[in-house]
Amino acid sequence: MDGISHLVIEVSDLKRSEEFYHDILGFELLGQDQIPNCGRNSVLGCASGQWLILSESAEPRSLAETGVHQAYGMLPSDREGVAKKLAERSIVVHRYKEDRPAEEGDNFYFHDPDGNRIQSVTGKTVSDPRHGVLGIDHAAMECHDLEWAEDFYVRVLGLTVEHRVGWRTEDYVRAKLWGDGKANMAPGTRRWDQRYTVMEQKRLLPRPNTQLYVQFGDSTLGIYLATKHRQEPPERQIVGTPRIGLRCGRAAFHRLVKVLAENHAPLQGPVEHPLTTPIAASLYVKDPGANFLEICVSK
Amino acid sequence: MADVEGLSHSAICVHDLREAEDFYCNVLGARLGNRVNFKTDDAIRGRSVHGSVILEDYLLALMVPRDFMPMPADDEHRGAHGFRHAFRVPRERFGEIVSSLRTHGVGFAGPTDHPEKSPFGQSIYFKDPSGNFLEILWRRDENVDFRKPYITGVG
Repeated sequence: MDGISHLVIEVSDLKRSEEFYHDILGFELLGQDQIPNCGRNSVLGCASGQWLILSESAEPRSLAETGVHQAYGMLPSDREGVAKKLAERSIVVHRYKEDRPAEEGDNFYFHDPDGNRIQSVTGKTVSDPRHGVLGIDHAAMECHDLEWAEDFYVRVLGLTVEHRVGWRTEDYVRAKLWGDGKANMAPGTRRWDQRYTVMEQKRLLPRPNTQLYVQFGDSTLGIYLATKHRQEPPERQIVGTPRIGLRCGRAAFHRLVKVLAENHAPLQGPVEHPLTTPIAASLYVKDPGANFLEICVSK
Repeated sequence: MADVEGLSHSAICVHDLREAEDFYCNVLGARLGNRVNFKTDDAIRGRSVHGSVILEDYLLALMVPRDFMPMPADDEHRGAHGFRHAFRVPRERFGEIVSSLRTHGVGFAGPTDHPEKSPFGQSIYFKDPSGNFLEILWRRDENVDFRKPYITGVG
């Protein structure tokens, strides 16, 4: 698979969010309802050709208290301009850290009006640098079973593991630093666990939250262990929002249709889109955490 | 009196669960048991962080400690205070084990010959990547049919 093709996030007010992403992050407004199955939506573009799709929802699921976030690549020089615009609007910039070694130094986070957490990372240089977002670098989601998630993303979808958190003593040593108030870690990266055994007298322990990062092309997906049980979408619903679009070529697409069916993944499609759509074909699938995914072939 | 009826399992601490699993499964031929702390329910219930490997009929739990354990010296293979886990192989496969350790680049001491009267034949001593001491030996009494427990499930 080649990389992230698009992200669909939920917002409560399309106009307000269009203005937010366009003004602050430099996304280009490409029009409404261009991508199928996103509800009432607005498509935003950036230099890499990837899309950010704002899907209107009365109660947007931004999961701000978890590790869920979207990361956009930017030139470090442009980040200062963004910081200024945020200050003008009194939007707080958080200097959290995360566990992924590739993000060392990319601690610049803020929230959109609906609570979707945005991270600005150092983008890869492109030949035609406009100011603002260069591309979608990575996106994070939650899952209630990280072993199953790894099996799905690595064995079934064929992505590679970039980094794991929660398997090594060094992760626990770093979590203790956080527990002692010495590290400003992003939501979702750490937890306080209450030991259940009577012997431990219900002691609270600072721990890293278990995470998995998988890579494909230039993109990365972060999967965080869900620390709460959340209502999944109805079993029959395979297409929904928020959603992550993963791009691949035709041959890989056909192979994945077969592989996903063989592995009993909840599927809808494949669907060939009308000629006017920027995406040629899509296969909608839910991952083990019931996260909506869309595997697509671009034009 | 406790009157215990058998050994259930033992637990050792490892610094890197995945590295330990690779070692016990690929070098020692164990099979993977369950891991705990990779599901939401484990996090909510505050369970300890561990995995497990099964060596034939032996369940070895691999705990991930909150802090680094002091590591023995590189050339120390026999155990600082004598504590180690020892596993047996048939005599005819002992040489194979020695070569296998060499192939995987695992440092070891031995093989050592035990006295004629000892139930042990020969031993080889080595460590896992987290410094836990291990021993593999063949026994002179290997043809005696001891009652072997078998693993029905893991926690």
